[in-house]
Amino acid sequence: MTRVPMEGKVLNENDRAAAELRAEFARHGVFAVNLISSPGSGKTALLERTLESYDAGRRVAVLTGDIQTDADAARLARYGFPVRQITTAGACHLDARMIRRALDGWELAQIDLLFIENVGNLVCPTSYDLGEACKIVLLSVTEGEEKPLKYPGIFFKSELMLLTKIDLLPYVPFNIDVAEANARTIHPEIQIARLSCTTKQGLDEWLRWIDARKGGQ
Amino acid sequence: MHEVGIANGILEAVRKETEAHKPARAVKVGVRIGEMAGIDPQSLAFSFEVLVKGSDLEPLDLAIEPGVLDELEFAYLELEVP
Ligand SMILES: Nc1nc2c(ncn2[C@@H]2O[C@H](COP(=O)(O)OP(=O)(O)O)[C@@H](O)[C@H]2O)c(=O)[nH]1
Ligand SMILES: [Mg+2]
Repeated sequence: MTRVPMEGKVLNENDRAAAELRAEFARHGVFAVNLISSPGSGKTALLERTLESYDAGRRVAVLTGDIQTDADAARLARYGFPVRQITTAGACHLDARMIRRALDGWELAQIDLLFIENVGNLVCPTSYDLGEACKIVLLSVTEGEEKPLKYPGIFFKSELMLLTKIDLLPYVPFNIDVAEANARTIHPEIQIARLSCTTKQGLDEWLRWIDARKGGQ
Repeated sequence: MHEVGIANGILEAVRKETEAHKPARAVKVGVRIGEMAGIDPQSLAFSFEVLVKGSDLEPLDLAIEPGVLDELEFAYLELEVP
């Protein structure tokens, strides 16, 4: 029996495709954001409020991933910006090749800001780089404040945690300070914002965050 | 359940690597997985077992070693020379 060292990342192929995307985004000045959360935490609602707030001249586009249906793309297309649905037919995450295919035919030079709504799942999307500039994790107040500890990977890899549906705080026993402390236990540098897409509380802060982050790249 | 895809990726890599060491055959592959990698080791081990069964690579073991943070990397390959 002989043991030989084996080099490289297990997701080498995805990483390679993601690196190509990242280079392409850089070449065309596209700031790409990967939005990740459990199903129903409010990713599409956040994008609705975001697109609604942008003027028509804004060079923004959205790719939205789901296992089945193009319901989210239909919700998002109403705002007049380019939107495409990626249906994964069973896969619990988007990968870099799906993004590449979905971008086909889009003139990247015409896009400054690309939102990618990942498939609803707090685990699987963690491992797949999509060439994005940053990952953002959403945690709604109905999910429990211990989730950052139970699903540490995505909180570790996300630059920003958005605590969503804060309009529901009076109705659910969710300690928002504990949720934030838990996220910081996993990732001390994580940035945190609170938001409601129903009352729009915190929406301006989110819009400023994304512009500032994009400006700084 | 992306662990099936990950297990598949490991098998592909083992095939490729073994090719370079002909006529040896692979008996065990070691990977390092960190706690932040978003991988459930048990679910990966299970997927791996199912995929290996009945394949050209059977019997092949998977050894999962603790990695640093979000590490998800190959560590080694054990080969048997006939
Ligand atoms: N009360 C409340 N409900 C929300 C908020 N954001 C989203 N929802 C609701 O939560 C459900 C799931 O939202 P959706 O955007 O589809 O989540 P996604 O699966 O992460 O895309 C929908 O019924 C939304 O109307 C919010 O800020 N407050
Ligand atoms: Mg959605």
